[in-house]
Amino acid sequence: MNAQIFNANPTIYVSQKSSRKSRFEAGQSLWVDDDDDDDEERSSDADVEPIDQDEIFELIRSISDPEHPNSLEELRVVSAEQIEVGDNHIVVEFTPTVPHCGMSTLIGLCIRVRLLRSLPPRFKVDIRVQPGSHQSELAVNKQLNDKERVAAALENPSIVETIEKCIETAESSRRV
Amino acid sequence: MSESYRSYLINLLPLLSPTNTHFVQHFIIPGISSGSADFLDIVKALGEYLTSEEDDLRTKGVQMLSLVIERCPRDKLNRQAVRVLTTFYCSKLEDTETITPALRGLSHLVTFPSFSSLEVSDVLSSLFQQVKMKSLVQSTRSYVYSIVDVLINTYRDHLKNIGEQFLSGYAALASGEQDPRNLLVAFKIARVILTDFDISKHVETYFDITFCYYPIVFRPSPDDPYGINVDDLKDSLRSCLSATPAFGSLGISLFLEKLAVAPSLTKRDVLHTMAVCFPVYGINIAREFGRNVWNALKLEIFEPTDPLTEEMALDTLRVFVRVLLSSSDGADNTIDTVLQAICTDSLGFVGEPEKAQAKAGIKVLRTLIDVPSKLGVDAINNAMETLIGLFHDPGEVSNRAAVIALLADLLSAFVASVTPDPSTTTEQASEDLPPLIHSSLTSHKDVIIGMFIVGLKSSATRLPGIRGLSNLIRIPTLLTDSELGYIVFETGELARKEPDEAEDATTDVLLLLASIALTAPHHLANQTLPSLFAMLPEQAPSRDAQTERAEYWRALRILSKLCAQPTLFEILVIRLIAKLELLCSLSMAQEISAGGTPRAEEIERSAAYAHALLVTLANTLSTKVSKAPPDPDVPKYVDRLLSHLFRLFLVAAVTSERRIMQDQRLLRAGARIMKLVVEALSIEQQQRFIDGVGAAFLHGQVKAVTGGDFPPLTEEFKPIHVDASTHQRETVILFAAAHIPIRKEVSVMKNPDVKGLSVLSAFLRDLVRWCDLSTCSTLQRGAASELFATLVNKYADDVSDFLNEMRTSYFPATLNDSRVPIEARRKAMDNWVSISRGLVVRSHPLALSFIDSLLTLLDDETVAWGAAHALGLLVADDGVLTKRNGAVQKILHVQKYFNVVLPKVMDGANKVDGTKRATAYLIALASLVYAVPKSLYATQISTLMPLLLRGLEVAHPEIRWQIIETFSDNVSAFSDDELLSTYASTLVVTILKNCTVVDMPEHKVRVAALKCLALLPTAVRYDLLHPYKPRVLKDLAMALDDPKRAVRNEAVDARTKWYKYSG
Repeated sequence: MNAQIFNANPTIYVSQKSSRKSRFEAGQSLWVDDDDDDDEERSSDADVEPIDQDEIFELIRSISDPEHPNSLEELRVVSAEQIEVGDNHIVVEFTPTVPHCGMSTLIGLCIRVRLLRSLPPRFKVDIRVQPGSHQSELAVNKQLNDKERVAAALENPSIVETIEKCIETAESSRRV
Repeated sequence: MSESYRSYLINLLPLLSPTNTHFVQHFIIPGISSGSADFLDIVKALGEYLTSEEDDLRTKGVQMLSLVIERCPRDKLNRQAVRVLTTFYCSKLEDTETITPALRGLSHLVTFPSFSSLEVSDVLSSLFQQVKMKSLVQSTRSYVYSIVDVLINTYRDHLKNIGEQFLSGYAALASGEQDPRNLLVAFKIARVILTDFDISKHVETYFDITFCYYPIVFRPSPDDPYGINVDDLKDSLRSCLSATPAFGSLGISLFLEKLAVAPSLTKRDVLHTMAVCFPVYGINIAREFGRNVWNALKLEIFEPTDPLTEEMALDTLRVFVRVLLSSSDGADNTIDTVLQAICTDSLGFVGEPEKAQAKAGIKVLRTLIDVPSKLGVDAINNAMETLIGLFHDPGEVSNRAAVIALLADLLSAFVASVTPDPSTTTEQASEDLPPLIHSSLTSHKDVIIGMFIVGLKSSATRLPGIRGLSNLIRIPTLLTDSELGYIVFETGELARKEPDEAEDATTDVLLLLASIALTAPHHLANQTLPSLFAMLPEQAPSRDAQTERAEYWRALRILSKLCAQPTLFEILVIRLIAKLELLCSLSMAQEISAGGTPRAEEIERSAAYAHALLVTLANTLSTKVSKAPPDPDVPKYVDRLLSHLFRLFLVAAVTSERRIMQDQRLLRAGARIMKLVVEALSIEQQQRFIDGVGAAFLHGQVKAVTGGDFPPLTEEFKPIHVDASTHQRETVILFAAAHIPIRKEVSVMKNPDVKGLSVLSAFLRDLVRWCDLSTCSTLQRGAASELFATLVNKYADDVSDFLNEMRTSYFPATLNDSRVPIEARRKAMDNWVSISRGLVVRSHPLALSFIDSLLTLLDDETVAWGAAHALGLLVADDGVLTKRNGAVQKILHVQKYFNVVLPKVMDGANKVDGTKRATAYLIALASLVYAVPKSLYATQISTLMPLLLRGLEVAHPEIRWQIIETFSDNVSAFSDDELLSTYASTLVVTILKNCTVVDMPEHKVRVAALKCLALLPTAVRYDLLHPYKPRVLKDLAMALDDPKRAVRNEAVDARTKWYKYSG
């Protein structure tokens, strides 16, 4: 789409393993699990596991960067700490790798589309660039949180195609 | 030959078509074979046709002759006949009407033994003079190639004598060939000419007729009837190109030219061909074009188009370097300028570690080590010095991670070159490391170890540092014992750190330490283990001390990873058993000091800690036993571990007070350890162990299993007695665990009993009674079930009394008696299933009658569901009757069982309808189909489908789960089966009913349903499910809000798949 490369040589970080803790590690049980099998079987049906920031992070961590063959997590564009989950309200902050990154809107759109498809409709999702991390912060934020503008962008077939390509990795890599 | 035969031939000939081989085969060849007709007679008979003025007749005549020759027995033509025929055919080559059949005839004639070198020249000269290849079709040209092919293979020396004339003649013939079928033969001929003939005067000509095809981009159509394989074609052309050094200078220039412009697939082909050609073209060519070759390869390596091409370029470079070094033998002082350029360029890139090219530079340098040479060693030396210099340069601190990673890469070359194959021993491997490199590594190793250790200290450089160290320790004979000790000391620090500090390096650190443990366990024993053991508290931490608990578990997990090595495992066992003993005695001491029973909460804390210790032992043992071959040191732990465990468990069992070792979870972990150790024993060792266990559990001689050490008994130990205490009864799980892995050769309870029943039969009968007591807990019944299965399976013939008694009295009196309370009947069902399973697995004749009894229960409403479920359990893997546990398994027992049961169940399901009984049959069908591999019912899936869909209406979650899993397993069948795809829409609707928490409270079913739903878009044609897409997306939006995380994950997946599902 855009021939200009905004950040040719980004810093790549190691992606972390899932930060989810077992019942023992979380201090809910005195007993360690016998084998390494997952604790799904043990948790009773009555327990409610609310959607938390780790879960949202799981959804978006493996989205590919439009510019590089790396995931957003590897570029530290998104992190679990930058996600806030409230009552029916989620705020996702992301950090562009460079302040003049022209891909910021696209990254934001990818996150929005991914969450649009993966979260229950009761949530309102706000997506923002981290304050001070982008030169046209306000414009990007406005673009990403205006329903009409998002809808308009998603009617452009070439944008949709790029987004699909970026979030494809998020869809396939979640299988562990 | 009679006149009539001749006229018969003459009359027939005009009717013949070129394809009418039937006539030749059945009328002429038998005559020739039997000697009743002479070949020349045929020629005479054909006479006027062969020379006829009419084109059509002439063609047919020659065709006829060629057909006869093609099928004629090879010994029926004498020299003279061959001579005549050759001359005749050669003369027919001028004639455009007869050239095709003539060539065809010749191509067969040359294979006759009486064909001689005299005729070769004639054939060749007529070919070269008369045949104009460009005007012939492919099939005719192929005759020419096959003639030359035969001649060059049979009369090679003669052709060499002809020399010039042949070489130029053939080149002219072959030039301009386009058809891949002919090219395959032409390349074969060219390869022979190029290798065996003196082509010095024709180099350019032959270069033209081979290199003009390079690189081959031909792609056969998908349904190519000729079966041309592109790789064959490429390979045979490549063998031509690499046939002679004479192509050297011409060839290399062409390669370089192609390499510069080709797309990546062709690039790889070119690189491969170059690698094949370099050794043939030789060192002089390599020197001459060295610069250019290096420049071209440099581009492919340092600015790679894709990883595969880069890999290929490195391979080519490796061959190239080997050729360059082949003459110098390392002693030659005039170092090749090209090699020097390679070194300097790579070193230049290595000097800039922050760039991606530096990695490629290391790869290039690694290719230099393959052939031992002074140059290679110097280059490696230089690289190491450069990297060391960079590391210590204060201005380059930010690049330290890259520097360490590069150094680790460089070192991995030595690991790779000495990785011992399974066939070579380590001694041979260490010889492989050239002494020069070894000494160079030795001189730098202190600094390098230092760098890696420094790397461990900060998070960015930690992983590459660990990788470097693990490469370093795998270079044989490089590190001294004390250096290993130092590495263990430094990395051990890291292993103990909080996971937050060490981030995700812990796994890698443990791998490193574990591999050091294999060669130098004493370092770990002295340095790492003590501090890990120190992290284990004496007493269980209090309930809210979460961090302490996490810490002991972390220490235990690390210990479990490190201590698989025999020496370390011994230490681990001693230390952990000591901890366990201490915990038990402390908890008793507290009880005494507190002047009464300690609080339940305190017991639980200690029990949880003890459980963690046991699980650690079990996990470590599992690694030791599961690997192939299992560690040989395991058997000795019968005495060193099991006897201690028995003592602790049994002491706790014979007291009425609460003890930590009475906990069921501990007993389970103990049983797991027991199974693992017994599995590793030999038959004699198992026999001895089982004798001891029998003495203890059946006759109360507890000292037989505790190594002779036991405090005075307060009560008698008789766990299998009907009035044993609960604590004693629970230890039966240990008794079962001891018996599960024994081989069938081990004898169990052999002495005959007074009543005539064998002891084993009597024991099993007692066990049934023991089980049917109302006080029998789930744990106890599970242990008994395992005992039934394993003992019946291994000693079926010894227990026939017991089996008969079960059939004749137990089944009618307990299982099939509606007056017996439901609860008791359900329990009896468990016993019945375990016993039947033991029989089914070995395809015992009695198995059928046991299965039949179960089937009759399907019509009894109170136990029908249980029986239905049991039909699946009989062939499901239960982890008891497995190969590892020495079960007697007949091959195909699952098939046999399935073929017996399925028709009956299907019958029942189809016959009875709408009642509870029908449901029972559906459940039976579902659990049966779920339990067996899908290949067994693949052919019947279309008849099973409607029944399974009906089964999905049954409210029972377990059944729904099994059916949905079965669907998921078979979803691929939907794509190819027309009939099945009609069910797809029903399937979507039914499965949607199991996706949301409102409809289906069991989350396991919801997960399975969503998984199945996610599979459908890839398996089913879009037009079939198009109407359901909006509804699926809408319903899945609800599933996205599921209270369970696992369900939500699957919902996200399924919904994404359906979003993208379109026609």
